[in-house]
Amino acid sequence: MRSQTKISTLATLMIVVIATFIPEITFSQTASVLVPEGSFHSVLPEIKGEPIEVGSFYMDQTAVTNEQYVKFLKENPEWRRSEIPSIFTNNGYLREWKSDLDPDYEKLGENRPVTRVSWYAANAYCSEQGGRLPTLNEWEYSAQLLDIEDEAEMNRFSSNLISWYSGIDVKNLQEVGTTGIETIYGVQDQFGLVMEWVEDYKPIIADELSLDCGTVGRMQTLNSIYSYAASIRYITRMSFNPKITTGMVGFRCAYDSVESSSEIENGDTL
Amino acid sequence: MKKGIIITLFFIGMWSLNTLAQHAHHNHKQQEMKAGEIHPEHSVYHMSAEFTDHREAPIKLADFKGETVIVVMFYGNCTEVCPILIRDSWRLYSAVDETHRSQVNVLAISFDTENDSPKVLKDYAEYEQLNIPGWYFITGKHTDIKMLATMLGVKYQQTSDGHFAHSNLVTVLDGEGKIATRVEGLNQPMEEAAAVIEAMLTNF
Repeated sequence: MRSQTKISTLATLMIVVIATFIPEITFSQTASVLVPEGSFHSVLPEIKGEPIEVGSFYMDQTAVTNEQYVKFLKENPEWRRSEIPSIFTNNGYLREWKSDLDPDYEKLGENRPVTRVSWYAANAYCSEQGGRLPTLNEWEYSAQLLDIEDEAEMNRFSSNLISWYSGIDVKNLQEVGTTGIETIYGVQDQFGLVMEWVEDYKPIIADELSLDCGTVGRMQTLNSIYSYAASIRYITRMSFNPKITTGMVGFRCAYDSVESSSEIENGDTL
Repeated sequence: MKKGIIITLFFIGMWSLNTLAQHAHHNHKQQEMKAGEIHPEHSVYHMSAEFTDHREAPIKLADFKGETVIVVMFYGNCTEVCPILIRDSWRLYSAVDETHRSQVNVLAISFDTENDSPKVLKDYAEYEQLNIPGWYFITGKHTDIKMLATMLGVKYQQTSDGHFAHSNLVTVLDGEGKIATRVEGLNQPMEEAAAVIEAMLTNF
């Protein structure tokens, strides 16, 4: 009897241990990975040069695809193109789709990222998956976690980025997960596929930050391979509003990490 | 062509940076953020999310269809500015003729979803002596609160010390959930907004 209890306790313990150390968790549609806490240097001016701290969170490995978005629309008719109230989007919402639930896969592909979705729609999608959009800092922090070995590779990466940002070919997007760009924690395609919505896409330049004319110049000269791409993103995002829909903007979702938040519990009980 | 788009975006961005910089400078002391753009021709009642009030009752925005609503967004741990915002809402509410007041609802919605549970909000309402009929202190899912705030043009962002930088905004919704008027800033005169409410009530 006693040894049986012991064994089952052990088994439970092992399951707990295994569960704790498997970083990959599937929240409904997309596989997500744990991004541990850390800090990064933003291209925006920092408070006394301190890096920005980011707590741990889960993030989808890849951007949301057309096929996944169709599933969401099947269950949430109010977000279909013919139903969506105009407070949530401009006219371009899913503009290239054949009909409400048919993206025209031949042209747009099942596994290509869904684009032409407004911030409201992206926010609703992630909410429905039990998550949320990543914050700007979470997204940017994760993007800087690439493992680039040597200077030659760094230079190659940097020049690829420049050509990509100067011409995202919205008509011929690649499938998600095919850029070969992956962070050390397994988040894919943060560069090279589409730009992505974040929760606070317009960074709030409150009293902690003072922007001046030299700021944009400074962004460019930060000694980092990421600074060019990051400054283009910051600047582009600032021109967004929550209703815009463009062919070069998709999204992925993030999830609070279990230990760091009461928010999930809160959400569930509400 | 695409290069052109990128360049255009770049310049729009530069312009935004400049504008933001001016705001940042201007608002340096108050930690106040300018209210965002809104679309007054559209109803916020399109939002179907369920919220919870300080009486632990579920609440949807569309529950208030056909009635007049004053909305203010705040958070409980904000002890300096938010009590003023709540008092501003009370000033607007009490500027409405007493015989009509029962047709006016006040939604005080917290953006601190982590700390402001219904229980905390109840204590807050009692402390402010506003646990009264027609007043609802509301919490909800993080994503829903963010969406509602965006619709109302209320900007907020958590700062590293756990507080929030936020816009100070009192919004009036008409019977269809459209934004009838809004008052930006603290301690503003409420006569105009009260007149808007009175006009709506007498039209019902």
